[in-house]
Amino acid sequence: MVHDPANGIDGTVGDICIENGRIVATLPPDAPRLDARGLVVMPGGIDIHAHVASSSINQARRLLPEDHAGAPIAAPVLAHDGNGEVLIPRSGSGGVVPSTFTTGYRYAGLGYTTVFDAAVAPVSAREAHAQFDDTPIVDGGCYILMGNDALLHRQIAAGERERAREYVAWLLGVTRGYAIKVVNPGGIELWKRNVRAVGSLDDPVGDPRVTPRAIVETLADAATALGLPHPVHIHCNNLGLPGNVALTLDTMRALEGRRAHFTHLQFHAYGGAAGKWSSGARQITDYLATHPEASGDVGQVLFGNACTVTADGAVEYLLHASSGRKWVNVDVEVETGCGVVPYTYRDRAAVSALQWAIGLELFLLSPDPWRLVLSTDHPNGASFLSYPQLIRLLMDRSYRDAQLATVNQKLLAGSALADGIAREYSLNEIAIVTRAGPARLLGLTTKGHLGVGADADITLYAPDADRARMFETPRHVIKGGTLVVEEGQLRRAPAGARHHVRPTYDRAIERTVREFADRYFSVSLENYGA
Amino acid sequence: MTDHVVEHATCLGCGCACDDITVVVREDRIVEPERACSLGRLWFGTGAVPARVRTEGARDVPLASALDAAATLLRDAARPLVYLSADISCEAQRTAIAVADVLGAMLDSVTSGTAGTGVLAAQRRGRASATLGEVRNRADGVVFWGVDPAIRYPRFASRYAPDPVGLYIPAGRRGRVVMAIDVGTDRAPADADHRVAFTTDEEVTAIELTRAAVIGRGAGGGSDSLAERTRALADGLRGVRYLAIVVDGEPVAGRDPRRAEAMLRLVEALNGPTRCVLVTLRAGGNRSGADAVMTWQTGYPMAVDFLRGAPRYRPEDGAAAQLARGEIDTVLVVGSPLALPDEVRARLGAAGHRIAIGPRASESPYETDVAIDTGIAGIHEAGTATRMDDIPLPLRPALRVPSLCDTAATLRTLAARLVAGRAARRPEVA
Repeated sequence: MVHDPANGIDGTVGDICIENGRIVATLPPDAPRLDARGLVVMPGGIDIHAHVASSSINQARRLLPEDHAGAPIAAPVLAHDGNGEVLIPRSGSGGVVPSTFTTGYRYAGLGYTTVFDAAVAPVSAREAHAQFDDTPIVDGGCYILMGNDALLHRQIAAGERERAREYVAWLLGVTRGYAIKVVNPGGIELWKRNVRAVGSLDDPVGDPRVTPRAIVETLADAATALGLPHPVHIHCNNLGLPGNVALTLDTMRALEGRRAHFTHLQFHAYGGAAGKWSSGARQITDYLATHPEASGDVGQVLFGNACTVTADGAVEYLLHASSGRKWVNVDVEVETGCGVVPYTYRDRAAVSALQWAIGLELFLLSPDPWRLVLSTDHPNGASFLSYPQLIRLLMDRSYRDAQLATVNQKLLAGSALADGIAREYSLNEIAIVTRAGPARLLGLTTKGHLGVGADADITLYAPDADRARMFETPRHVIKGGTLVVEEGQLRRAPAGARHHVRPTYDRAIERTVREFADRYFSVSLENYGA
Repeated sequence: MTDHVVEHATCLGCGCACDDITVVVREDRIVEPERACSLGRLWFGTGAVPARVRTEGARDVPLASALDAAATLLRDAARPLVYLSADISCEAQRTAIAVADVLGAMLDSVTSGTAGTGVLAAQRRGRASATLGEVRNRADGVVFWGVDPAIRYPRFASRYAPDPVGLYIPAGRRGRVVMAIDVGTDRAPADADHRVAFTTDEEVTAIELTRAAVIGRGAGGGSDSLAERTRALADGLRGVRYLAIVVDGEPVAGRDPRRAEAMLRLVEALNGPTRCVLVTLRAGGNRSGADAVMTWQTGYPMAVDFLRGAPRYRPEDGAAAQLARGEIDTVLVVGSPLALPDEVRARLGAAGHRIAIGPRASESPYETDVAIDTGIAGIHEAGTATRMDDIPLPLRPALRVPSLCDTAATLRTLAARLVAGRAARRPEVA
C-alpha cells in the first residue's frame, strides 16, 4: 500500500521499479522482486532539523559520558555481498547524543534516509563534513549559521544588504552548505556582550542599523535572490522565554510575503506575560493558515532525557542558571556561538507538560501538513528515536488523551489540547510531515516521493495498530536502491551523499572578505571553510 | 629534486596550529618555515624522515609482509592496545580507531596522561570557553594563570592574546588589561598590568575564594593576605567586559583534580557579572584532533575500551595503568613513537609485542616487532588537523616522498586484513 502524497497516492497497491538507485517506470519481468504485499510503503524519512554532525553536537557528546555509558552499541552484523569492497561495521554509543556511526545506523533503522544538521558554524564546517563522512547510509547536508556573522552585520550597518547576498553565496560555497541558518538573530552577538534577551526586533546590535529585523530581512532576501532550494531557516529570538510568541509573530510578520522557515516553533510559542506561561500555539497556526509563504517545523518535546544543543548561547546560559544542570559554552569567533545543557522533561513538571502540549497543539491545529513538518529538534526536545512515539500521539487520539491525563495540568487550563482535540493524523499526513513535506520545503526534487526519477529511498512498514511499534521497526528500508534494512535487520551500510549548493556570486566580494579575514580571522582565508 | 614554496601551511609544533606558515623547499628539503617560531622550526626540521619498513627491529621487508606480520600479531593478541601518538592527521586517527574497533582493543591517546584531569573535570562540570579568534577579537581582559605561553606556545601572544588588534579591541595590547597570576614557580608572563602570586598550596583555596568574592559571598572581609589578594583579584576580573583566563591544559607537575574543577567553577561564576571564557593550552601533534575524532566515533574523548564489542569509557584506568598491570600483550602505536608520555613509554616493555606505524617508527626508542615509517601530518601527509580550540584546519604538505608509506592508507590496509581474517575464522551465520 503506497503512500506517496506528492504524487497523490494514498494507500493504493502498486509496484515500484528501481534501477541504478532511482525509481523507473518499468523493469523487465525477470527483475528481482521484493514482496511488499500487506506492507505500508512510503518514501524514506527526511529529518529537516537535527543536530548530528556539528562541532556543537560533538561538545554535547563529550560532555555526557554518562549518557553513553548506559548504551554501548555493538557493530551491526552486515551482509557480505562479495562486491570486493571492505566495509567495516562500527560500534558506538547510543543515548540522546549518539556517536556518528550509531546515528547513521539508527536513523536508517527507523526508515530515515536523509538528515540535515541544522547548525554548522562556518569556521568548523570542515569538521561537520568529516562527521557526516562517518555517519553511514543517510544523505546529509549542513545549514550554515549566519545570523550573528560580524561581516554580515558590517554590511548591514553600511547599508549594503544587496552585497550581503554575494557574501552569503560565497559563504555557502566555501562551507559546502545547503541553506542559510539564523539562530537568535543578533542575540548571540548580544550574549557575547552579556545581554541575554532581545527586547524587540528593532534592538540595536552594536550599530543601530543592525537589528534582528534587518538581519532576517537581509538573509531572507538573499535566499530568495540566490534561488536557494530552501528558504532562510530561522530560530527566532528569545527561545524558551515565557511570552516569546509575540516576538515570534513579529518576526514572521517582518518577513510577510517572503519565503521563510521558522524552526522548532514549539520553543517559540509561549504566551503569557513575564513569569506566566500559556500556549501560543493557535496564534502560530492561525498565522500559518493565512500566510502560505511561511513554513515551520514543530520541535516537539517528549518526556524523558534530552540534551539542549544550540548555537544560542544566551538560552543555554539561562537554562543552566535556572536548572542547575552542567553547562558548556563556546563562543565561536566572528560568527556564532554554542551552548549545551543536558535536560530532562518531566510529565510532573508544569512547564514541561505545557511544552509537550504546545507541540501537539501545533501539529493538531496545523492548517497544512506540507508547511508544518515533524521535528523534535533532536536532541533538544527529544531524541530522534522518539519519532515513532510522536507519530502514535498524532495518529491515536485515545493514546494521546491517556497521556494527557497523566501530565501536570496546572498550565494547561484553557489550552486547546485540554479542551479536547479529536484530530488524528492519517498515514498520508504522516507521510507528508515526515517525508513529502520536508522534501518540498527543502527543494529536494528527487526525494520525498516515489515517482519516476525519484531517488530510490523507500521505507516499508508492517501495519500495526500500535503506530509506535509500526514506525519503530520498518520491515525493509531501501536507500539509493540498496536494501539496507532487510526483515528488520540492518544489513548494508553504504555511504550517503552530501547535499550542498554553489550559488554564483560577484567575485568582487572576495576582496571584501579578504580584507576582513586578513584583519580579524584567526585562520588563513585559504584554510577557511570546508 | 624540486624547489618550491607552500603557503598557508599549518604547523603542528604546538596546539596554536599556526596556519600562516610559508614553507620554503629547496632540493627536496625544507630550508625555511617562514613565520614559524622556534618550536615550529624544530617541528618542521628539514622534513627528512626515514622511510623503512621493518620487522624484528632490523629486517627490511616489503610492506605487505610487514602488514601481514602486524595483522597476525594483532589478531592473536589476547589484549591489544591501540595508542594514538603525535603527528598524524584526523583521517589517520579515524582509521586507527577503526582498527581498535575491529580488534576489540583498548584505545587511548596522549590526552589521558597529559590533559586528562582537565577533560574529566569539564565532563563533570561543563566548561565556558571560546575559540581563540574570539579571544583575539573581544577579550579586553586576559588572565594568565600559572603559565607563560611564551615557553611552549611562542606565538600565542602575538596571534591570539594579548598583542593583536581585534575586531572589538582596536588598540591591541593597549586595549587589554593583562593579569598575571604566579603560582609557586609557575610564572605568568612578565608583561602584565597586574600581578598577584599564590603558593602552590594556596592555589585551590585562592581560586575558590576568588569565586566566592565574584558572586558576592566573600569570606566576611577577612583581613589575611589570601583574602585580600583574592578580593582584589575578583574586582579586577569582574571589571572587564570579556575576560579570557588562560591555563595550562597539560601541567607538567601535579594534576590536582580539585584545581581543574575549581577553575571551571570560577569561570562559570564570572559569566554573570561579566562574560568569561577559559582557554586551555594544549600541546601539538594534532592531539586535539584525536579528542574530537574519538568523541564523534565512540562518544568518548580518550581511554576507550572495545573489549566487549562496544566502546566503554575507562578514564581512570587508561593505557598507562593497564600496561603497568601487565594486562596488555600487544601494542600498536600509531603516530610518532618518540612523542609518547614517559609513563607510557616506560611501560611498553611489559607488552610482549610492539608495532609502530607512524613517522620515525623505525627509530622508536623501544624494540618493535613491526615498524612502518610513514610521513608526518602536515609535512608529508595531507588531511585535517585540529587546533587546541577544536577548530579544524587543512594540512598542506610541503614534501612528497613516494617511497614513504601514508599513515591512513596503511591503516586501511591493515584494517582490511583484520576484517578478512576475522571473516575467515568465523563462519557466516545462515
